Amino acid sequence: MRQQVTLQLSNGDVFHGGLIGAPMKASGELVFTTAMVAYSESLTDPSYFGQILVFTYPLIGNYGVPDMPSGFDVRSTIGFESNKVHASAVIVASDSAEAFHWTSRQSLHNWLLAQGVPGIVGIDTRHLVHLIRESKNLLAKVTPNSGGEKRLLGSLDTYEGEGFFDPNDHQIIREVSSSERKILGKGKCRIALIDCGVKWNILRQLIELGCEVELLPYDTDLKSVDCSAWLISNGPGNPEQTGGVIGEVKEIYEGDRPILGICLGHQIMCLAAGFKTERMAFGHRSHNQPVYLLGSKKAYITSQNHGYMVKDEDRPDDWEVWFRNVNDDSIEGIRHKSKPFRSVQFHPESAGGPRDTAWILHQFVAEIKRHAK
Amino acid sequence: MQNNFENRDIRKVILLGSGGLSIGQAGEFDYSGTQAVKSLLEEGLEVIIINPNIATVQTNPRKGTKVYLYPVTPYWVEQIIKKEKPEAIIGGFGGQTALNCLVKLEEAKVLQKYGVQNLGTPIETLVMTEDRDKFAKHLQSLDLPIPPSLACNTLEESLAAAKKIGYPVIVRAAFALGGLGSGFAKNDEELSKLASTALSNSPQVLVEKSLKGWKEVEYEVMRDQYGNAITICNMENFDALGIHTGDSIVVCPSQSLTDDEYQKLRKASLKMVHSFGVIGECNAQFALCPETSEFYVIEVNARLSRSSALASKASGYPIAHIAAKVVLGNDLISLRNPVTGITSAFYEPALDYITVKVPRWDLIKFQGANRNLGSTMKSVGEIMAIGRNFPEAIQKASRMVTEQEGGLSQRVFRDLSEEQLAKQLEEPTDTRLYAILESFRRSFSLERVNQLTRIDKWFLAHLKALIGIEFQIKDTIRESFGESVEEKLLLGFDSVSTETWKQWKSWGFGDQQIAMVAIEELKAGSFAKAKSIDAAELSLNIRKARNAKGIRPVVKKIDTTAAEYPSPSNYLYVTYEGQFSDKLPEDGKQGVIILGGGAYRIGTSVEFDWCAVSCSENLQKAGIRSIIVNCNPETVSTDFNCSDRLYFEELSLERILDIAEFEGTNQLIASMGGQLPNRLARGLAANGFKLLGHSSETIDMAENRSKFSALLDELGIEQPTWTAVSNLEQLNSFIESVGFPVLIRPSYVLSGAAMNVVYDHESLKLCLSQALEISQDYPIVVSQFLQGAREIELDGVASKGEIVTSIVSEHIENAGIHSGDATTVVPAQRLFVETVRQVKRAGRLIAKGLKLNGPFNIQFLAVDNHIKVIECNARAARSFPFISKSVGLNLATVATEVMRGEKPKLSRYIEDEMPYVGVKAAMFSFTRLQGADPVTGVEMTSTGEVGCLASNFEDALLLALEASHIPKPQKGVLVSAGMEKEKIKFLPAAEILRDMNIPIYATEGTGKFLQEHGFEVTTLPWDMDQILSLIRNRTVDLVLNCPKNFKATELSRGSTIRQTASQLGCSLLTNMEKIIVFIKALKYHEDTKPLDPLPLPPYRHDL
Repeated sequence: MRQQVTLQLSNGDVFHGGLIGAPMKASGELVFTTAMVAYSESLTDPSYFGQILVFTYPLIGNYGVPDMPSGFDVRSTIGFESNKVHASAVIVASDSAEAFHWTSRQSLHNWLLAQGVPGIVGIDTRHLVHLIRESKNLLAKVTPNSGGEKRLLGSLDTYEGEGFFDPNDHQIIREVSSSERKILGKGKCRIALIDCGVKWNILRQLIELGCEVELLPYDTDLKSVDCSAWLISNGPGNPEQTGGVIGEVKEIYEGDRPILGICLGHQIMCLAAGFKTERMAFGHRSHNQPVYLLGSKKAYITSQNHGYMVKDEDRPDDWEVWFRNVNDDSIEGIRHKSKPFRSVQFHPESAGGPRDTAWILHQFVAEIKRHAK
Repeated sequence: MQNNFENRDIRKVILLGSGGLSIGQAGEFDYSGTQAVKSLLEEGLEVIIINPNIATVQTNPRKGTKVYLYPVTPYWVEQIIKKEKPEAIIGGFGGQTALNCLVKLEEAKVLQKYGVQNLGTPIETLVMTEDRDKFAKHLQSLDLPIPPSLACNTLEESLAAAKKIGYPVIVRAAFALGGLGSGFAKNDEELSKLASTALSNSPQVLVEKSLKGWKEVEYEVMRDQYGNAITICNMENFDALGIHTGDSIVVCPSQSLTDDEYQKLRKASLKMVHSFGVIGECNAQFALCPETSEFYVIEVNARLSRSSALASKASGYPIAHIAAKVVLGNDLISLRNPVTGITSAFYEPALDYITVKVPRWDLIKFQGANRNLGSTMKSVGEIMAIGRNFPEAIQKASRMVTEQEGGLSQRVFRDLSEEQLAKQLEEPTDTRLYAILESFRRSFSLERVNQLTRIDKWFLAHLKALIGIEFQIKDTIRESFGESVEEKLLLGFDSVSTETWKQWKSWGFGDQQIAMVAIEELKAGSFAKAKSIDAAELSLNIRKARNAKGIRPVVKKIDTTAAEYPSPSNYLYVTYEGQFSDKLPEDGKQGVIILGGGAYRIGTSVEFDWCAVSCSENLQKAGIRSIIVNCNPETVSTDFNCSDRLYFEELSLERILDIAEFEGTNQLIASMGGQLPNRLARGLAANGFKLLGHSSETIDMAENRSKFSALLDELGIEQPTWTAVSNLEQLNSFIESVGFPVLIRPSYVLSGAAMNVVYDHESLKLCLSQALEISQDYPIVVSQFLQGAREIELDGVASKGEIVTSIVSEHIENAGIHSGDATTVVPAQRLFVETVRQVKRAGRLIAKGLKLNGPFNIQFLAVDNHIKVIECNARAARSFPFISKSVGLNLATVATEVMRGEKPKLSRYIEDEMPYVGVKAAMFSFTRLQGADPVTGVEMTSTGEVGCLASNFEDALLLALEASHIPKPQKGVLVSAGMEKEKIKFLPAAEILRDMNIPIYATEGTGKFLQEHGFEVTTLPWDMDQILSLIRNRTVDLVLNCPKNFKATELSRGSTIRQTASQLGCSLLTNMEKIIVFIKALKYHEDTKPLDPLPLPPYRHDL
C-alpha cells in the first residue's frame, strides 16, 4: 500500500492520492501538460522549475527512465533535458510499476525517489485540468501524510510557512542558469548562448549542425563575449524576473549579429524590443500547439511550455509578427524588419515533441554562416 | 510530385463507395463515406454516390445527393459520369475498391475524356504506393528504410528472391485488400504454395524480409494541398508484427514508445506524405525493433482505411469529415474541428485515456476454416474500448467483443496442458488473449510468455497483474464466505472494503464478472449450493454493495484537447479511474437511450447501424435527447453528429444502468441494434427501464420457441413440426414421425456450425459425432425441414398490435439457405396472390397476438399456397434498409415514430406501387478463409450484402450479382449440378448457355447427363488436377457447383472445386435456383438494350 499524500490547492480544494517518488513536502504553481510522451524530458526541462506538473495523459512511466547523466553529452543523454528534475512535484493518474523498454534502467518511481522529488498517483487529473483552466494562477502544496522533508529547489525552500510557493514571484533564472561560462562543440560558427535554463536539445541540435556553443550565465556582461551569433534560451517563470538580461539584450540589438530567442528567450527579446508580456490564464504546455507563418498558408505543430505571453498591443514599429497560434491567434514569434533578429515562443528543438520546426535552427545556422562571410 | 489541384468551380462530385461488406473492407467505409457526404453537402456541392451497398447510411437518399446503387466498376462509373456530367470524382473514401476503380478509370483515360477531375491524392501516388517496387525506390530516395524485399512476377522469381533475402520471408500481394494472398514462409515449399495463390490474385508479389517479433506502429496523417500536415494519432499493435493489423489488438495512443521513437516515426510519416503529394488522409505503418529502436516503413495507404476509422473514434478527430473538406482544396488551418468547436483542424489531438481495439472473428461459423492468425486478415468486425488505464480498457474490450460478462475471466483454456497452452501462445489464433491469461493463472513467467508471443512486456505485465487481482477476488470470497455460502453472499460483499472495491473496479472487473469469479471459486471449493447461484442476480447484489460504499463510475468527455479548452463535445465514456464526471450542458430535453449493435459479425452488420442512425435522427427531430450506446468504431452511429450524447461503451446491463443513472432517464430503445440489445431487454425491463416499443413480454414470447409455438397454435397458423429432445430415442422417434430431412439446432456447440440439416441416418451420425452433444443438460431442438419450399419475409411496423405497414419479399433460393445469405427480391416475383394474402393475414394475427408495438420481421415457408411460419423477430431486421430503400419508406423511421407514441398515418403502402424491383444479394468473404467450404446453408456465412434497383427483375438481379462479384460469364462455365433433380432443373439453363455460345465444362455425372440430353459438353473425369486447372488457367470464369449430399467424399471433391474457385477469385454459385434465375437473366439481358443507370428515388415521406 502506498503512503497517502495530500494535495492542497490555493483555491481551498484538497485531494488525496498515493505517493510515488520521494516522501518530500513541496509547493509550487500547478500546471498541466497534455503531451502524451516525454515525461523524462519534461521533468528535466528547467522551464518547469518550481511547478507542480500534472500529466493529462493518465499512464506515465510506461517506457521507464534511462540512466541519469551527470552532465551534458551530445549522444548519450537522449531522454533528458538537464541533469536533474526541476519540477517541484509530479501528479499522474497512474504510473507504471515496471518498465521494459530497452533503454530503461529504472521505473519512474525509483527515478523520482533518487531525485528527491515527490509525486502523487491516483488523483483525477482531468478534474485538476478543469480547476487550473477555471482559476487563474492556481498554486498547490504536496504533503505526504507521514513525515517528509521540505523539497529544496536550488537555494529556494518551496515549502515555506502557511502560504504557497509561486515561482513567478522569484528570480528563479539564477537557479537554472549556468554558474560559469563553458564552451561546447567545435566549429567556425560560434554561438553565444545566454543560458536562462537551456534545454539540452538546443545544444545537441546546434552542435550537430557544426556549431560551437558558449554557454553564458544569465548575468554575463555580453560586451565581453566574442561570437558570431546570439541565442537566448528557454527558461522558467516570469520574463520580467530575469534581472539584467533584458538590458543586456537591448544592447546587443545595437549590433547586427544574428539573434535567435526561444521561449523565455523570445519573451526577453520582446521585452527588450518594446513589447509587453502578461501572464496567461493557464499557459501552453503541450506537443500539439499549431502555429502559422504570417503571410503564408503554412502552419506547423510545435512543442510548447510557457505561462507568459507577448501582448499584441503596442507593438514596436521596427519588428513584425512572424508566427501566431492557430487556435487563439496569440503571438508565437517575431522578427526584426531589417536585422537578422528572430524569436519564437515554441521549441524548434523539440525533445519532447514534434520536430516540424527544426528548420528554424537550420535557418539560423545558415544565416550565421551567410553573415560571417 | 506535384499537387494536381486546379481550383475551378466544382458543383457536382462523384463519391465512390466500397460496395458490399467483406473481410478487409467493412463498415468503416460507411463511416468515411457518410462523413464525407455530409461534409461535402455543407460545402454546397451536389454529391453523386455510387455504391451498391444498400444497407449503408451513406446511400440514404438525402437532399443534395443522388444515390446510384450500382457496382463500383469502371463501366458503371463511366455510364453515370455520362449521365450526371460531374466536374470531379473522389475515390479516397471507398476503400481499395474505389481506389482500384479510380486507377482503372484513369488508365482508360475515362476521366480525361469527360473532363472529370480527381480530387485528393494524385493517382500516380496511388499507383506508386501499391506497386511495391516503385514504392521501395521512392522511399530509398527519401532515405527512409524499408525491409529488404524484391518484387516478383513469377514463382521462380519468388524462390530466387527468397534465397537472396534469406528465410523466413513474408509474401505480399500487390493491389489486394486486407493482405489477401499474403503470408509467411519458412522454406521453399511454403513459399511455392503462398506465391502461387498470391500470383493468381495479383500480377505481382513482394518477397520480403520477415520482421516477426518487431513492434507494429501506425500513424494517421492528414495533409492539405498547401503542404500542411499533421498526424491525428498513432497506434501500437498489442500483437507483434506478423499478424495482420486488422487482426491485431491495437491500442491508441502508443504505450511503449519513447518520445524519440514516437517523433522519429511521426517525422517519417510526414516526410512521406509530403513527398507523395497526399491530399487528404493517409495511413503509414512501421515496424520498430524492440531491441534497437531501428525502424522500417511497412506500408502506406493513401486513403481512408479501417485504421483511420479507428483513429477517428479513438482520438475524437473527425478524419473523414475534415479529409472531405481538404480534398476540395480547403486548408487545414482555417477549418475548425466541429467536435471541439474551438480548435483548428490543424491540431493534433491530445488524448487523456487509452483505447483498445479488439477484432471480432467468427471463424467458428465457417466449417473447416483455419483459425490461425497471420498476414491475411480474417476478422469480420471489431470493437473499441476506452478507459483511463490499460486493464480497464482491455477488460471492457473483452466483454464487448465476446458479449460475455465473464470477459477476460472466461476460462477458455482451462483444460489445456501446459504444453498445449504454450503452443496456443506461440501460434496465434483468434483466442490467444485468453491463452495468455490462462498461462498467467498457471504462473507462467512474464519472460516465457514474452518469448512465446513476442508481445511487449508492458502489455503482458498488466495482464499478469490483472490475474493477480482475479486471485485476490477469489481469496476475498473464500475468506469472507466460509461455510454458509448463500446467506453470506451479500453479507460477504458487504465486508469488502471501499479501497478493495475501488481497486477491483478500476482494474476493469465487471460486477457480473466478479460474481462469476466468485461462483467459480465457490464451486472449486465444492460448496454444493454455489451451483444454484445465478451470476446475473448476484451481480445486482454486488452493485448494491459497492454503491453503498460509494463506488460508482464517472463520465468523461473525449474532446481532443485533454480538457485544455472547454468543449461542447458529446462524445463520452465511463471510467472508474477518476472522482469527478465532466459537466454536460443542460438541454432540458427528455432523454432516450438507443442501444447499438456492438461488433459487426456474421448476421449483425451495417444494416443495424443504419436502423440505429435512422432512429436517432427521428428522435432528434422530435426534440428528444438521443443517447446512443455502442462500441463499434466502424459505425456511423458512433459519429460525433449522429446523436445528442454518444456513450462509446459496453452494451451490458451494468453499464446501461450507469449511463441511465447519470443521464436521469429510464427510457430505452432496444429494438434497433439487432440480437444483442434484444437479449438485454428482459434484464433492463426488470431493472426499471421503460422499453419504448415492444414490451419485454412481447420480445420474450417471440424469442421463446415454446411460447411462440403455443401462440401460433392458438392463432391457427401453421409451423413446421418441431420438438426439443434430450436423448437419442426422442430424436429418433421424432424423425420417424416427420421423416428426413430435419433441421437440428443444438443448444450447446462443440465445434463448427450451430445448425445443420440432416438428410439421412448416415449424416445424422456424422453430425452427432462431430458437432453435437445431446443430454439432459444440453437438449437440442429438431424440426421438420421442408424441401422445395419458397421462403417469404414480411417486414413491417406495428403499433399496439395493429400493422402500420408491412412488405412482402421473396427469396430466390428455396428454403434451407439462411435469410442473410439468400438472394431476396421485392416485390415478390413468383407468389400467388393467395399466398400473399395468407402471409399478410398471418402477419396481422401475429402482430395482434404478440401485441407487437414497433419494428418486426416474420419469416414464412410456402408450399403450394400453404404457408408456415418459421420465426418472428420482434425488432428491426437485417432486411430493413433493403426493403426501406426499395419501397421508398424508411421502416426504421416509421418504427421510431410508433415507439415515441406517435400514430403515423396508416401508410398501407403496397408493394405493387413500387416503381422498381429491388434485389438483394449476399457478399461472401471465402477468399480469405482458407479451409472453409464456400457453400451456403442454414447457417449464415455472408459478410455483407448489396442491393440494386431496376425497372425489371432481371436487370436488378444482374446488377446485384455483378455488385457481389458474380459478373456475366464470358469464357466458360464449369458445372456440377448435384442431385438428379437439380440436373433436370439445369437443362433450360444449359440451353441458354448454348445459345449464348458459352462453353460448358462439367464433372462426370453432370456431363454425362447433359450429353444424354443432347448438349455439347466437355466432360471431365474425376481428376482434380485437370478440373482445377480449368479454374487456374481461367478457362472458365463461372463455377456452378451444387453440393449433392453430405457424404464425405462428395463434400471433399465438391468442396475442393468450390474452395479453389473462391480462393482464385472465380465467380461461384452453389444454389440451383439462383443459377437458373441468373442464367435466365443473362438471356434477357442479351435481348435488350444496355441499361440506363437510375438513381435511388427519395423516401416517400421525405417528399
